[in-house]
Amino acid sequence: MELSVFDLSKHLGVVPGTIERWVQQGKLPVSKKGTNFKFHTKELEQWAAKHNISLKLSDKRTKEKSQESVIQLSSAVRNGGVYFDIRGNDMKSVLESCIEKISGIPDEFKAELLDRLTERERALSTGIGNGIAIPHPREQLGYLSEPLVSICFLDKPVDYHAVDNQPVWVLFFILCPVLKMHLYLLSALSFCLRDNLFISFLKSKPEPEDLVGKIENLQKANPV
Amino acid sequence: MLMMKNWYKNVYHKLFHLDDRLLLIIAGSVTGVFSGLASVVLRLSLESALKWLHPFQQYWWAFVFPGIGALLSSFYLEKIAREGAGHGVPEVIYSVSRYGGLLRFRSSYSRIISSLLTIGSGGSAGPEAPVVMSGSSIGSSIAKLLGLNDRQRITLVGCGTAGAIASIFNAPIAGLVFAVEVILGEWKFVNIIPIAIAAVAGTEISQAIIPEQVIFNHQMFKVGFYDILPSLCLAVVTALISVLFTKALRQTGKIAKKTPFSLWTRAIIGGCVVGIMGMFMPVVLGEGYHFIQSMISGTFAMGGFIVFLAVFAKIFATAVTLGWGGSGGIFAPCLVIGSLAGIAFHNVMSGLFPSIECASQGAYALLGMTGIISGVMQAPLTGIFLIVEITGGYETILPLIIVSSLSSTMSHYIEPASFYFKELIERGQFLRPGTDARILSDLNISEIIETDYSKVSENMVFREFIELLKNSHQHFFPVIEDNTGEYRGIIQISAIRKYALDPGMYNMIFLNQIMDTEVITASLENDLQEVLDMMDINNMDTIPVVENDWFIGMISKTRILDLYRRELIMQTSV
Repeated sequence: MELSVFDLSKHLGVVPGTIERWVQQGKLPVSKKGTNFKFHTKELEQWAAKHNISLKLSDKRTKEKSQESVIQLSSAVRNGGVYFDIRGNDMKSVLESCIEKISGIPDEFKAELLDRLTERERALSTGIGNGIAIPHPREQLGYLSEPLVSICFLDKPVDYHAVDNQPVWVLFFILCPVLKMHLYLLSALSFCLRDNLFISFLKSKPEPEDLVGKIENLQKANPV
Repeated sequence: MLMMKNWYKNVYHKLFHLDDRLLLIIAGSVTGVFSGLASVVLRLSLESALKWLHPFQQYWWAFVFPGIGALLSSFYLEKIAREGAGHGVPEVIYSVSRYGGLLRFRSSYSRIISSLLTIGSGGSAGPEAPVVMSGSSIGSSIAKLLGLNDRQRITLVGCGTAGAIASIFNAPIAGLVFAVEVILGEWKFVNIIPIAIAAVAGTEISQAIIPEQVIFNHQMFKVGFYDILPSLCLAVVTALISVLFTKALRQTGKIAKKTPFSLWTRAIIGGCVVGIMGMFMPVVLGEGYHFIQSMISGTFAMGGFIVFLAVFAKIFATAVTLGWGGSGGIFAPCLVIGSLAGIAFHNVMSGLFPSIECASQGAYALLGMTGIISGVMQAPLTGIFLIVEITGGYETILPLIIVSSLSSTMSHYIEPASFYFKELIERGQFLRPGTDARILSDLNISEIIETDYSKVSENMVFREFIELLKNSHQHFFPVIEDNTGEYRGIIQISAIRKYALDPGMYNMIFLNQIMDTEVITASLENDLQEVLDMMDINNMDTIPVVENDWFIGMISKTRILDLYRRELIMQTSV
């Protein structure tokens, strides 16, 4: 197989000028001289082996990492579901009844999740103000197959020790199998919740489909 | 009195301390004298061993001598001297490149004794590598005695080598060239002068003690224009034989290790095989200087096809001797094989073209020697100068250069690593000064690591971290467990920038949620080459070093470049 200066520069991670200088200095095995240099893969491999240079000509590694599990907030909300009229008098009872309702959580893990969430709230309240809270555990939840964002509207506002001391009327649960998704969803959600229009839209307790659609629109405004 | 003392101090300081050239020259000549003595001792004892065993050679059971010799030799090395087998030259090269030429004093006599047992009893090996080892070790010991540093010690090791080779062949320039070309691997002004003087000192010693027994008498050869074409052909032949010889040496060693026999049995078997061969073809026995002498002077009585066979017999005998437990070098066997090949070539040539006006058999023996020496050691200059000095004249220099350069180039083409270097390269120990491998092996991980990183707890809230960030220059924050202090992950500022600019996140997350736990970490046991490979493969500029779950520091490419460059400057400056 033949390679051009440009191809080789990509493989070696240098600019084409460097390749040309190396050819000038007689350091690279070049198979066709003239204005356009050509390199033979085999010769290059021998040259690299001799000079202890790492050169990967055959496998162009695809960047798997960047494609790793990016999930949109709207689809996470679809996974998680929207629930209305959750009952409870304080933070703990509200969390408990929300977890009862959220269908994505396997039953055997519900008690444990409640412990984790209350522990998290005790460490630092997730009430971000404007009557909104984002309860989430600090750990990743390996038993979930996909990330969930469940939106729970409360029957009546409860005291949540939020930053602005206002009672909370809506909870956004973020439950993720992997921490990285969690950060991503949290960031996306935080972007939405900075939008006052969105908050007033929330206050109208919209239909789940409308809510997801609104979130989708906001996502488009803030592509990651 | 005080003035005298001051004056002495001043002179001492100026002469020896600031500029060590004079010191090295004096120490080098002393080294040369002692290593010259070592090789004289070995030569004389080899000759007396030969005389002593000569009356027994006619008996049918004489073939056991090499076996017993090899057994005693490996017993001595293994049990008494407790040194590894092998001929010693790679060990010296490795010590020069890795440990500043540090060698044990024991090595200065152990190889002499073991090779005396092997060669004196008839084993096919050379006494040169053992005397190189002992000369180098003498140089190293003198350096230790004088409290010299690594660089000066390396020069003295070179002096010892040069003195030994110069003394055994009565060839000072060959000694100098061998020491610089093969052992040190760098032509530096500060090295060459002391080594040259040591080489001359070694030669003088050997001439003073055994004046009438210079190994090879100087000869006059008539070599003309018509010898150029045959020498080209001879070069090809010697290159092929060199490769064959190198391969045979390495293979027999490997085969010997695979056999079920113990070390001692192997030595006896190998020695006896050589002994049996020697009954039919005495040219394969011993170091063979006498045969070489007779071949050069044209009095060698062995004709036609037998010489051709003898080439391979000698290769086999040497490979078996060295591979199966004997101790010694390959220098002398190379010379014997070379001269046999030269004579065989001459025979073939004069058989095919009887009318051609070419030089004598002796001249071709010389050319053959050059070819094999240059081919096996891939040290063309050593080959040329050794033979020039042996012949004592420049009549043969043109064909010598042709054969030497062509043979070393061709054998290099077929087998890129010479016999001496092959082992070292395979073990990753071939570290010539100024090369990448050398710098990477000299630089220690602990020298490169940057440790002044403040660590953060995994339970820290992101808001606190942002506050910390405002007054910090760090690009990386290692995250640790609160109680035990164990390393949990790392936060790279560039990776979290998005979240750091979003105040909505500040109270929402703890550092354990944002840290990267999948970053590849290095450990203190990794060498720099491995660390660089890790960074290359994973496309990292900075890598954390974690030892036993404990964060030690970070290694960055910036820092590596900085130190690498300084190291290169230090190593290449005189």
